[in-house]
Amino acid sequence: MPLGMPEFVENPETRCPVILLLDVSGSMSGKPLQELNRGLAAFQQDVSQDAQASLSVEVAIVTFGPVQLSQDFVTIDNFTPPELKPEGLTPMGGAIEYALDLLENRKTIYKNNGISYYRPWVFLITDGAPTDDWSQAAKRLQDAESNRGLCFFAVGVEGADFDTLKRISPERPPVKLNGLDFRSLFVWLSASMKRVSSGKVGEAVALPPVAWGQITS
Amino acid sequence: MVWKAVARSRVGRIHQSQKLPCQDHCGYHISNDVIVGVVADGAGSAKYSDEGSKLAVKTVLDCFKTINLEPGKLSCSRSEEETRELLTKIVEKVIRQLQQTAEEKHCHINDFACTLLVLIATPDWLGAMQVGDGFIVVRSQSSEDYQLLFTPDKGEFVNETTFITSTHALEEMQVKVMSSPRFIAAATDGLEKVAIRFIDWKPFSPFFKPFEEYLQETGDPEEEDQYLLEFLDSERLNARTDDDKTLLLCLWE
Repeated sequence: MPLGMPEFVENPETRCPVILLLDVSGSMSGKPLQELNRGLAAFQQDVSQDAQASLSVEVAIVTFGPVQLSQDFVTIDNFTPPELKPEGLTPMGGAIEYALDLLENRKTIYKNNGISYYRPWVFLITDGAPTDDWSQAAKRLQDAESNRGLCFFAVGVEGADFDTLKRISPERPPVKLNGLDFRSLFVWLSASMKRVSSGKVGEAVALPPVAWGQITS
Repeated sequence: MVWKAVARSRVGRIHQSQKLPCQDHCGYHISNDVIVGVVADGAGSAKYSDEGSKLAVKTVLDCFKTINLEPGKLSCSRSEEETRELLTKIVEKVIRQLQQTAEEKHCHINDFACTLLVLIATPDWLGAMQVGDGFIVVRSQSSEDYQLLFTPDKGEFVNETTFITSTHALEEMQVKVMSSPRFIAAATDGLEKVAIRFIDWKPFSPFFKPFEEYLQETGDPEEEDQYLLEFLDSERLNARTDDDKTLLLCLWE
């Protein structure tokens, strides 16, 4: 009797969620936002080149302020980078809390659908100081970090309040972006996501070197 | 009737492209109607992960080779608790062996981190343990259904698991006994996503049935391993997983 070949079960792709928390306050208008928009496009293009990553990496974009869901979670193959426009203040605390809630909802969806996932990344980019009370957000963030529930990265553009960023995220010091080199930042983020999304069990993923900014400490 | 068995590990695409050795190892030992099977997956982050998994497999098999295995001694009277005791001793021995090797090489035991799955089966009884991920699937003589013995030990995130070298390995060790095993398959996590349906952790029968038929059709699967090797090296499988792949297959027939 000729032997049949084993058939494969169709399981959903393992997801690699990342939330971009982007400051679109008035001070970001002009060149900074232009470069940030170009950076987002570079991110989309770069991840797309990796077939596995484009199905695994899921991006959501929260802009502030006001705090808005500019893009709900979407895999990169379906992601069209939005055109960000300058708006009001810098409610960073509210934005962080919004992102944490968004992430919890996403995890529930994953769990209910038998989708496995990597540790989520939350990536904050700002050029200012919070204009709201951020103490509760910082506490929730630090709890999530110490439970290893997520990785939070803060990136400051020239003029950002690095002391406050350090207090929000004491575990991982904020990085100061070189000029407005958002492109290099997002290509790095893409490279990191590709590594994470092909990571194997128990493997501590070594991230590419940060060549786009200075780690403050 | 006898146990027919075969076990093979093949390097995955990622390690192949990096010219790294296969970090999975496996093996089995048959004596007096008793089969002992072992599967281990070296942690990618560990320095000597390939040696760790190899040594773990060898240590377990050596343990059983030195004791006289008789089905009577192991039979269905052995409860889960007694099985845990037996398997704990074996795991402790593996940990000691890894520790000793680490000392000889002047490195840390974590450099030998690996997962470990061990099964002991007689025609009327099966006892098994698992630390970390990977899977053991069994079909008993009285059922058509394939049963997953343990849900893989994963953290919240897909790339986290427990290793035999973790400080809490023995607490995390899962143990189970069942009666009358007929077909057993044990594998490392490289095969998880094609063989197990994640939403309810059910083994996918069309994956396992051909392997059972292969063992039925084959006189000596150890000699006639082409079917298994072709599968493990197939493009079709490599398109779905880039990890190392191990499959241990046993049939009481």
